[in-house]
Amino acid sequence: MSWVGRSIRRVEDPTLLCGAGMFVGDIGGAAAVRFIRSPVASGLIGGVHGPAYTIADLDADGVGNIEAVLHRPDYVRLAQPLLARERVRYVGEPVAVVVGATAAEAEDLAEQVELDIEPLPAAVGLEAALAPDAPLVHPAESESNVMVAGEMATPGLVEALEAAHVIVELEIVSGRQAALPLEARGSHAVTERFGGRTTLHASIQAPHMVRTVICDLLGMPEADLRVVAPDVGGAFGQKLPLAREDAVLVWLSRRLGRAVAWIEDRSENLMASWHSREQRYRLRAGFDVGAHLEALQADVAANVGAWPCYPITWGVEPLMALAELPGPYTPEHYGVRSRGIASHTCPMSPYRGVSRPVITLALERLMDIAAARLGVDPVEIRRRNLQSDFPHISPTGLRHDEGTYREAMELAVSHVDLGAFRARQSAARAAGGPQPGIGICTFSERTGYGTPAFAARAMGVTPGFENVEMSMDPSGYVTLRIGASPHGQGLETALSQIVADELGTDPSRVRVVASDTDRTPYGWGSFASRAMVLAGGATHLAAQKLAAQLGSLAAEVLEAAADDIVLADGRATVAGTSVGVDIAELARIAHHHTQRLPAGAVPGLSANAGYDPGGTFSNACHVAEVEVDPDTGGVSMRRFVVVEDAGRLINPMIADGQIRGGVAQGIANALLEEVVYDEDGNILTTSLMDYLPPTVAEIPDIEIMHLETLSDATVTGAKGLGEGGTIGAPAAVLNAVNDALAHLGVELNEMPATPERVRAAVRAAAGGNSAGETNRSTQEAPVQ
Amino acid sequence: MLDDEAGPQRRPAVVAVKPARFAYTAPDTVEDALDVLDRFGDEAKVLSGGQSLVPMMNFRLARPEVIVDIGHLGGLDGMSVSNGALTVGARTIHARLEAPAVTTPDGRSEPLGGVLGSLLPAVARFVGHLPIRVRGTFGGSIAHADPAAEWCILARTLDAEMVALRRGGERAIAAEDFFETVFTTSLAPEELLAAVRLPVLGDDWRTGFCEFSRRAGDFAVVAAMTAVRLELATGVIAEARIGVGGVAGVPVRLGDAEATLMGETPSADLHAAAAESAAGEVDPVGDLHGSLGRARVARARAPGAGASG
Repeated sequence: MSWVGRSIRRVEDPTLLCGAGMFVGDIGGAAAVRFIRSPVASGLIGGVHGPAYTIADLDADGVGNIEAVLHRPDYVRLAQPLLARERVRYVGEPVAVVVGATAAEAEDLAEQVELDIEPLPAAVGLEAALAPDAPLVHPAESESNVMVAGEMATPGLVEALEAAHVIVELEIVSGRQAALPLEARGSHAVTERFGGRTTLHASIQAPHMVRTVICDLLGMPEADLRVVAPDVGGAFGQKLPLAREDAVLVWLSRRLGRAVAWIEDRSENLMASWHSREQRYRLRAGFDVGAHLEALQADVAANVGAWPCYPITWGVEPLMALAELPGPYTPEHYGVRSRGIASHTCPMSPYRGVSRPVITLALERLMDIAAARLGVDPVEIRRRNLQSDFPHISPTGLRHDEGTYREAMELAVSHVDLGAFRARQSAARAAGGPQPGIGICTFSERTGYGTPAFAARAMGVTPGFENVEMSMDPSGYVTLRIGASPHGQGLETALSQIVADELGTDPSRVRVVASDTDRTPYGWGSFASRAMVLAGGATHLAAQKLAAQLGSLAAEVLEAAADDIVLADGRATVAGTSVGVDIAELARIAHHHTQRLPAGAVPGLSANAGYDPGGTFSNACHVAEVEVDPDTGGVSMRRFVVVEDAGRLINPMIADGQIRGGVAQGIANALLEEVVYDEDGNILTTSLMDYLPPTVAEIPDIEIMHLETLSDATVTGAKGLGEGGTIGAPAAVLNAVNDALAHLGVELNEMPATPERVRAAVRAAAGGNSAGETNRSTQEAPVQ
Repeated sequence: MLDDEAGPQRRPAVVAVKPARFAYTAPDTVEDALDVLDRFGDEAKVLSGGQSLVPMMNFRLARPEVIVDIGHLGGLDGMSVSNGALTVGARTIHARLEAPAVTTPDGRSEPLGGVLGSLLPAVARFVGHLPIRVRGTFGGSIAHADPAAEWCILARTLDAEMVALRRGGERAIAAEDFFETVFTTSLAPEELLAAVRLPVLGDDWRTGFCEFSRRAGDFAVVAAMTAVRLELATGVIAEARIGVGGVAGVPVRLGDAEATLMGETPSADLHAAAAESAAGEVDPVGDLHGSLGRARVARARAPGAGASG
């Protein structure tokens, strides 16, 4: 019986659910660090007065600048200081730092620090930053705020658009969002009194990468810095890039010779960690008479904030949009310009899905609008356009391995019973009042990519591979050390299932060590829906090697041929016989009776493996059902259905958990969450009264079904699925909101679909009376 | 993840509270509390459930010199009925209003019946979330005077009386005079809100409460409460009260809409006319969650919408 494919309970849970987790904030024994942050969006620093450290102190110690670069001609290179130097570029930018015995004392010290800043005009939103006379975010390095500008077109695009039967034009806008991990960021650094080694505990996703870049910045050997990610309370991409604060903590601990801790509070996290997804897409799409999408042209602008993030850079959102916009569809002709626009706002990091929630929103709104224009059913237009020949090579050269784009959609729509829904909808339209709507979304999710994909980006450093080190100790238990850095995904449990199948042992006999640079092989951490594919693949390969070692040893002990040895149920047996030996006994022999090993065998049982695949595409169909009140603009979720194909499922329960969490974040993106700045660059959403993550009351039950197309692009057959929920949900919800109000002629292509935006769309559809709500309310039908 | 061989042990964490320095006192008796308030006046701030004050102190938006924690005082919680009024002790937690019970003169506890017995639970479920409702207090919410708070709207709509104690004295303040502007009441610095008196509504009253908020448990974007007394013999509306929160610095009564209803027989057309009138009476200030609209005020209108008593 296989362990892979079973929903065994997560070994991670008892610790976390019993409150026994060890997060950065639990470590204690440290002085409290408080960052002094810029109160203005743009300005020149005249001076910093008070008991604080500034960039001058870092400079005096020779601390370097962060250089997050892409080697491409359209990319503006910058050197970013760890604290603001001369100029501040967003509200919340760290300018100085104080150290107090307690958090309250650090607050008191912070109040004593006076920042002398001469405010300058700020460029905040996309339009403001793109204006010809826009204030420049980096005037010394660039004559405009365009920091990266990718462009490509297939030959024949223009002719294809001219020849199209119908052209659909569409503008999609995504509000700025924050990943909002439950645990904000934080770090704790302590330097040994003798020897000078520093240990940094930080709430991060990629400990080895963080060790490298901090050591580069501080000019220290990597052997002298240990980086540990203890329990991490959510990350979602926000904890992938280097936090300037973490590097400052290491510097402070070494300079002061004492333990220091920085525990980011919620306001700080919302103001100054990382944001994402402030994007605008303009699409021009040509369909033929058969409703096939023949040509797709896009202009994408992403507000990338004031600084790039290391090492992903601020190309991550616009260039992902460029590369992946055709999504699950098959336009023969594709052209795109995609730009990253700097502004005087918080910098951007990847957030679960990165650009794909907006890409998918754009494509799926396009499909629904085109369907209406062409008189085709929304299901039918997708049926005609989804990929079905594999491998499919996209116009940007991406190889899509086999998926079930059409099958997933057919299963989802048959499950929701569209016919019955339409009958209910007709009744509701006749009755007035809140209106039901349904929205479909199909998408592809590029996952599990290694060095080849990252190398194509021409980054300053090229992430990619994952390594594992596996050993079996004399008791027959397996220790697996991984370079990935799980933080709540259940990876330890899933990897133990892979190991158990290969070695014929039980998952409870596998221990996974992760997230500590002293105890794990170098790796790139957990992000981009990669860990199951990469660390899982490396684990699979290492386990095969270890199984071969056990097989050879068993063959020696049992005097049989190695090829005849079967590992199962904790024993090595000769196939077709009852002759066998316990694996634990083999483990003893391998360490304690090495005279019995085959000639030339290395004592012990251990195997290393690396894995570095090119990538694979998951696919899914989401269907959302909503109820929209045209009078209040309120939207409530009624139902959510997911059909997911992520290849081989290692642990279906864990897969479902990933989907549920992602969908909840996607619904929040669609309806609730938005970071808002005023035009001067003051951030207005710095508490959870203003930035609105959903509660359980806003999220419906999420019905999940799986298809399982084993990938030929990965050794386990598994595909990644960590981001899919977030990618698909916004488009499904926005399509449902539009469907609910379609009879009023409403078109709403901006998320989040707040009550105010829904009302504005209803008013616009009703004839654009702009004389104020008083008139409007009198024009409205009496409220039912 | 495996425990670390040489890693950190759980030690007292960095003390994460961030308020500015303050003095703290937790008097045992109401008299002691009033003495402290009398002595420190506006340097003092009363701490009840702490659900609004503590976050504001951590943000350092509130910087009281002296915190007077009334959490240990006896006698300020619970509900009782006398002289046609329901008295709600200031320290009564919100959760108690979800299943309101009154103490009888002979010391027994019995469920609160009647119109208020239905209305209070219907409103209570909109107050925050359960962890807030088991800590936060009715009087704390009234004294905090958030214009969108459910209890403030209720107090204004039903013309509640706030019972304020001071050293050697007591006065009753009408709701109309109590709420002055956002987070500001007519309580004097040396006064302690001890109780709120709500009129017991007879069986000829009907009530409704409707709230529009972005998420369950949020402060209302807008909320409205109605209470009407029907002349049972004729079926006409003899008394009408309409209160709205979230549209101004204090919860407001909509006199024109109330007048529209008076002396009329309830009907869909009458409700629509009252809603129309209500929409004309408010001029909501926009905030982050919308430059709202009268449409929403109109939506939360007289009997039929939302909870009913």
